[in-house]
Amino acid sequence: MKKALAALMALLMALSLAACGSGSSPAPAAATNPDSGSAPAATAAPAPAKKTTITYMVTGDVPTNKTMTDVLPKVNELLGAKFNAELNVKWIEWTDYLSKYNLELASQDGNLDLIGTATDWLDAWPNTQRGAFLPLSEEMLKANAPLTYAQVPADHWDLCKYDGQIYLLPEDNFAQWTNHGFMYRGDWAKEAGLANGVHSWDQLGQYFGYVKSAKPDTIPWDAKPDASLVAQLSGGWLASHTKNIYIEGLRVDLFFGNSASDPYTVSNYFLEGSEFENFAKNQKAWSDAGYWKEDVLNNTTIDTRQEMHEALSGADQHHSMTYYGGEAKRMEEYQPGSDLGFFWFGEEQGNVVSLNITHGAMAIAARSKSPELALQIYDYIRNDPEAYHLFNYGIEGQQYVLAADGKTYTRPEGFVEDTDGAGFNYWWGRNDDLEFVGPLTDIPKKEILEAEYDKVSIVYPYGKAVFNLDSISAELDNLSNLYNTYMPQIVYGKAADPVAYVAEFREKLKTAGYEKCIAEVNAQLAATYK
Amino acid sequence: MSKIRRLLACKTLILMCLPAIAFFFFFSYAPMPGAYVAFTKFNYNDGIFASKFIGFDNFKFLFQSGQLGILLRNTVLYNLGFILIGNVVQMAVAILLSEIMSKRFRKVSQSIMFLPYFISDVLVALIVYNLLNYDFGFISNLVRSFGFEMPKIYSNAKAWPVVIILVHLWKSTGYGSVVYFAAIMGIDAEMIEAAKVDGANGFRRIIHIMLPCLKPTFIILLLFSLGGIVRGNFSLFYNLVGLNSMLYTTTDIIETFVYRSMMNNFNFSQSSAVGLFQSVVGFVIVVSVNQIVKKIEPDNALF
Repeated sequence: MKKALAALMALLMALSLAACGSGSSPAPAAATNPDSGSAPAATAAPAPAKKTTITYMVTGDVPTNKTMTDVLPKVNELLGAKFNAELNVKWIEWTDYLSKYNLELASQDGNLDLIGTATDWLDAWPNTQRGAFLPLSEEMLKANAPLTYAQVPADHWDLCKYDGQIYLLPEDNFAQWTNHGFMYRGDWAKEAGLANGVHSWDQLGQYFGYVKSAKPDTIPWDAKPDASLVAQLSGGWLASHTKNIYIEGLRVDLFFGNSASDPYTVSNYFLEGSEFENFAKNQKAWSDAGYWKEDVLNNTTIDTRQEMHEALSGADQHHSMTYYGGEAKRMEEYQPGSDLGFFWFGEEQGNVVSLNITHGAMAIAARSKSPELALQIYDYIRNDPEAYHLFNYGIEGQQYVLAADGKTYTRPEGFVEDTDGAGFNYWWGRNDDLEFVGPLTDIPKKEILEAEYDKVSIVYPYGKAVFNLDSISAELDNLSNLYNTYMPQIVYGKAADPVAYVAEFREKLKTAGYEKCIAEVNAQLAATYK
Repeated sequence: MSKIRRLLACKTLILMCLPAIAFFFFFSYAPMPGAYVAFTKFNYNDGIFASKFIGFDNFKFLFQSGQLGILLRNTVLYNLGFILIGNVVQMAVAILLSEIMSKRFRKVSQSIMFLPYFISDVLVALIVYNLLNYDFGFISNLVRSFGFEMPKIYSNAKAWPVVIILVHLWKSTGYGSVVYFAAIMGIDAEMIEAAKVDGANGFRRIIHIMLPCLKPTFIILLLFSLGGIVRGNFSLFYNLVGLNSMLYTTTDIIETFVYRSMMNNFNFSQSSAVGLFQSVVGFVIVVSVNQIVKKIEPDNALF
């Protein structure tokens, strides 16, 4: 009986090996993909005879408005006529979007083609290193995405290269500001004695203090414990109190360059000096004063922005675009006279970096079965006015009514954003040449902010640096764990003695190899920017 | 030849086993070779077996973090707590239930106790948060209305072993007691009758008849659960504690630590490395516990 069992087990193991062997067989097939891509295709591949489906992966909740029901069929009419293709949209819903996004990329088997990505918020470089994206040869780009290829200057293509090969199509012809800060109510700021609004952390404290004492039903800022929020606040204090500049792509937000004049040396802010301690002390004072909920670290089920609309939260943390591109006007509807203001991180020092062009970029899936066609479709939607407007604004008359100037639009009568709107979150190929200005954009507020930014901003200095983290991988993982353990408590002022807690954090960082990582990043920066 | 005949003789039993065999084959044995990913630098395009072999590098971070001791301690202690306290409470509840004479009352109370088992941990976490949170929790308000000061539970790591074990008991007692209840129902009624005739009161009957009869059940359940002693209940811990790093010292188990690490870095090879590590430790524990049981009570050992 035992022998039979052993034989059975052996058989099972053998079978399972075989099963997995055949499972991994697509690998060589996919490995030939880059070849077919880099093979000099002088002209665009002809439209295939059979209808091809191109899948576009994008972050966003599955729309319950007119996007999929009304607009997608129209888009597919265009694509069907021009390319004999149709578009399939794979939505990555916002809850835990990054893990779902990365999982989709890891398990791709030819089911994905166009992938919206970003170097700062969607792990574009780590995924490139893991082999998720197809390298794009210049010939392939010239042949299949000629308009985009002509529009993107050579130095921008350089920022899309890893190991000498292009992996990303950058959204580089679209001006936007996604630097973070706090949206606050201008009317309450005035009542608090801040006639010009909030323009520093100190004034933010004054504003919160006023809301706490004068508006009993409102939490000054109903904060959440999300990792991204913690990182924004930590980086926000840094931007406002030092000249340091954030470096993307290092997995954990502990790496900042010294200053615009000395960008290629990593700052020691987290290791020494009193500024980090000041942050901890400030946050502790705010926490003790009740500017956010006592149990903020478990306060996960709320929507701060919605609470701001309902005057339950006195502020919301997000970026400039969110502020002037929608919230300012929306708040006027929810709370007339609220005169929403924006305090941007770094305002005290004029420390702000203009957007890295790969904040939005399109990549082609490594295992895409028709990468040429995917490129053609990207090029078409990005540059053809008809396709662009349909894709981004919906159907004229249903989603928007264009004004006589051909540039601004309004909403049709009876339009409700949640049910009648449409859009495919095309944050990887927007094009200022074809953009319309919508009714939610607060133009005066936008212009004031942009003028301020134009005066002081610098260009992101690390665009060319794609870090190879193999030699410090284990250290970074441990630093990341430390960061996610200590930083939330510092940011929300939860340590009984903030200075001692910062000292403990610093000690742990050193033990985990933070200095080794800094040395490695410095070395790679020096090698990139000789 | 005789073996085949013996196999044929119990073909009905084998047939009945087939679904289970198929299940374990497809979900446990077939993916096993994939554990190889723990030793590679995984590249999506190359697949598991063509990725670069890097030996034990993926295990490094687990040992370097200095957290392994705390994580193992928390995982094992929580599980021991769940297993020992859980089984004792379940046994007690089963005995109490069996002593209830009114059939209807017994059924109703059993159902009510069973119910929490089906509530998802996400909801459980919300319930706990709305009971215990400092600003507006139900219990907090209750305590304050009696004029006392409410302790800040969500900032106090020491409170959480108690909270988590209570929540676990609330969730699992009804379900777990069913097995013991069935075992009690299986006890020969003559024995109990005989004890009654001999003048044993209810308490004596429990000590000398029911508990000894429950021992084999207890040992089997114990063995089963010990196999999973290094596997924590991820969804319960993650939902209750979430990202509250103030509570990690007493609530972080291997699963939650790995999940957070992976959420930050998305490294499949590393998570597989930890999974493999857990499995090996779990395997060693099951085999050794079984060996010990074999020494003490050969009849009750699993294999």
